[in-house]
Amino acid sequence: MDLPAGTRNYSYAQDMAILRTKTHWALFLGLLIFIFTLPLYLGNYWLGVANLIGITIIAATGLNILTGYCGQLSIGHAGFIAVGAYTSAVLTNRLELPFLVGLICAGLTAGLIGMVFGIPSLRVKGFYLAISTIAAQFIIIWVINHWSSVTGGFVGISVPYASIGALTFKSEGSQFYLIIGLTTLTVFLAKNLARTRVGRAFVAIRDNDLAAQVMGINLFRYKLLAFFIGCFFAGIAGSLLAHWIGFMNAEHFSLTESILYIAIIIVGGLGTATGPIFGVIFIRLLDQILTMWVVPFLEETFTVLPAGFATGIAPMAFGLAILLFLVLEPRGLAHRWQLFKAAYRLWPFSY
Amino acid sequence: MKSKKLIIVSVIICMALIVALLPLMSACGPTVEKTLMIGMSTPSSGKAAEKGAPMGHGNLDAIKYVNEELGGVAGYQVEVIWLDNGYDASKAATIIKRFMDEDCLFFTTASSAMMTAMMEIANRGDFPGFACFSSPALTHPPRHIYGQTPDYGDDWAAFAKYYVENIWEGPGKPRMALHLLNNPTGYGARDAARALADELGVEIPEGWVMEHSTTTTSEIESLTKFKTEKPDILYISSTPAPTAIIIKNAVELGLYPGMTIACGHASFTKALVDLGGADIVEGVYGVYPTVNWGDDVPAMAKMTEYCNKEHPADYGNMDYIISWAQSLIAVEILRLAVENVGIDKLTPQVVEEQGFKKIKNFDVEGLHGPVSYSPGDNRLSKSVRIFQIRSGKLVPITGWVEAPLIKYEDFDWYGK
Repeated sequence: MDLPAGTRNYSYAQDMAILRTKTHWALFLGLLIFIFTLPLYLGNYWLGVANLIGITIIAATGLNILTGYCGQLSIGHAGFIAVGAYTSAVLTNRLELPFLVGLICAGLTAGLIGMVFGIPSLRVKGFYLAISTIAAQFIIIWVINHWSSVTGGFVGISVPYASIGALTFKSEGSQFYLIIGLTTLTVFLAKNLARTRVGRAFVAIRDNDLAAQVMGINLFRYKLLAFFIGCFFAGIAGSLLAHWIGFMNAEHFSLTESILYIAIIIVGGLGTATGPIFGVIFIRLLDQILTMWVVPFLEETFTVLPAGFATGIAPMAFGLAILLFLVLEPRGLAHRWQLFKAAYRLWPFSY
Repeated sequence: MKSKKLIIVSVIICMALIVALLPLMSACGPTVEKTLMIGMSTPSSGKAAEKGAPMGHGNLDAIKYVNEELGGVAGYQVEVIWLDNGYDASKAATIIKRFMDEDCLFFTTASSAMMTAMMEIANRGDFPGFACFSSPALTHPPRHIYGQTPDYGDDWAAFAKYYVENIWEGPGKPRMALHLLNNPTGYGARDAARALADELGVEIPEGWVMEHSTTTTSEIESLTKFKTEKPDILYISSTPAPTAIIIKNAVELGLYPGMTIACGHASFTKALVDLGGADIVEGVYGVYPTVNWGDDVPAMAKMTEYCNKEHPADYGNMDYIISWAQSLIAVEILRLAVENVGIDKLTPQVVEEQGFKKIKNFDVEGLHGPVSYSPGDNRLSKSVRIFQIRSGKLVPITGWVEAPLIKYEDFDWYGK
């Protein structure tokens, strides 16, 4: 990380720190205060959107570790989220186990199943691996629909409120604190993972797996580890989604959702800790703003046009945004953020 | 450096001002006349848009008609927050929160799938709503979600009851085979058959329940066993394309004519005749919860006028009819609630008690079966009509036939 002129590090610990200047700390604390006071001035709807954003950030962070850092393309991420959601739903509803048990088991189960579907990654990569992960999407959803004695099948399954001890997360505000707390933890873990030996091994595999193997990196082990960690996060997100919505059926986990997650990490910036955050906020807010405000506004304003004409705008704007990012900024919003920070740091000089 | 500090300070002050003024912004605004606000959500984009778009049109056109020509409800305009859910469950979960946040009195959805995504949040918030197309999961056990029309299980029950009472002439029980789409459309009929076959006097022998997918191209294999075993009825709960294939295959195998074939409402549309061919599907029975375009019912003239004026492309689409009827039911619920307690006391809970639960024999101007609330039964309309294909046309052969209530929640196997 670049530092302002005159700022020096005198130890490795200082050099490794994520927050390295007083300004960093001030901005970070300001951000935390802003986020954790959101329930004071947001209604249930916007808190709901914030909760959805938080859950999606956790899942997208998992996919970013798998695809962005380790280079293993997965188009079955919604399937792994479904595994987490149903594990938590079954454990807390049918077996009446505590939420925390459901949450951790959701992550572990999704991680283990992710490892199973990650086995082909040793032999295949790129498009071929993408196809094998699509299989995960279809197989998982088929099992959920047909293993009805456990999952409720097409009828679905109720999921109780999340609770820890005597504290039950009933209101949107309390759920917000639970979700944002876990989101913060997840992002912190992901950020640090990228700076460890494991994270560097992931990057080496992504950049050139043959060279990585020659350097002594065990490809099979690290690729499976990437699948486990990525799907573990997906499972945690699934568990939170289940307890937030309160009722699960397979409709929540379509192939379109899996593709959306790919779009999110591309728009945000592959292989960066902040990329999933930017990507999720951009995609989810764009979706909400188009659906909730722009489309109804256009429908009410241009009454001479046939009703319903504006419904095509949301998917078109969505597609256009992804297209523009791929063409104009393939490194995503995270790269733009880096450029902005560099420009701010050097201002008024251009370099 | 000074400029830099100035920028930082300005940004911080601006953000603080925005945060501080947010609550004030919502408090300011012109005084407006009282309206009755409801939420409506349809999948007008996404993979179910071919159904959702005309349903959204039907909903809004009917409300426009009520506001402009009938002067609203008891003198109050009906205000609709209409939102496209894109057939996306996550989006649906935020939409329901918006409806609740905006103080809507209740909400409606088109599809059972989107209602499923919203229902637990609505139930937890005591926020009533109803869906055009219903599934047993929405109304069993009954809470705050209601079904406008009978579900796929009710289709089966209504037809089985009608068949036993009016068509079956043989000794003993008629033997029925089921051919089901491998999703809730098919499994709804399966669950109803499982619950009520004995009670209605229908025998479904072991191994006579078959499944198919939406992409099936031939069901010759699954039907071949019936060349020797000869069922009395083949009941199909599916969509038009697979149903047409199954009927064609039954004709090729010489099974039909020679047995009765009946379909649930998801496949019993004009598309079935177009896909199967009028000669092939001649005599097939079907179940449908609304009238047809052109039928002589009170609502037809005004609905046709609005459809032709606002959305001419939707004319002939049955989904437009069902959503027009949904809006009329919503209006009736509001009318009852206003009449019973007055507009000032309306809350979602009051509307449920004084609107939803007070509705009795509302005829929806003839568009579908009478709408009534019965305690413990959250299906608002319990009736379907039995049709038969005659010379390529869907001809109603009965009036409204009531589907018996199936208490799924009383069965151990339900949801397992």
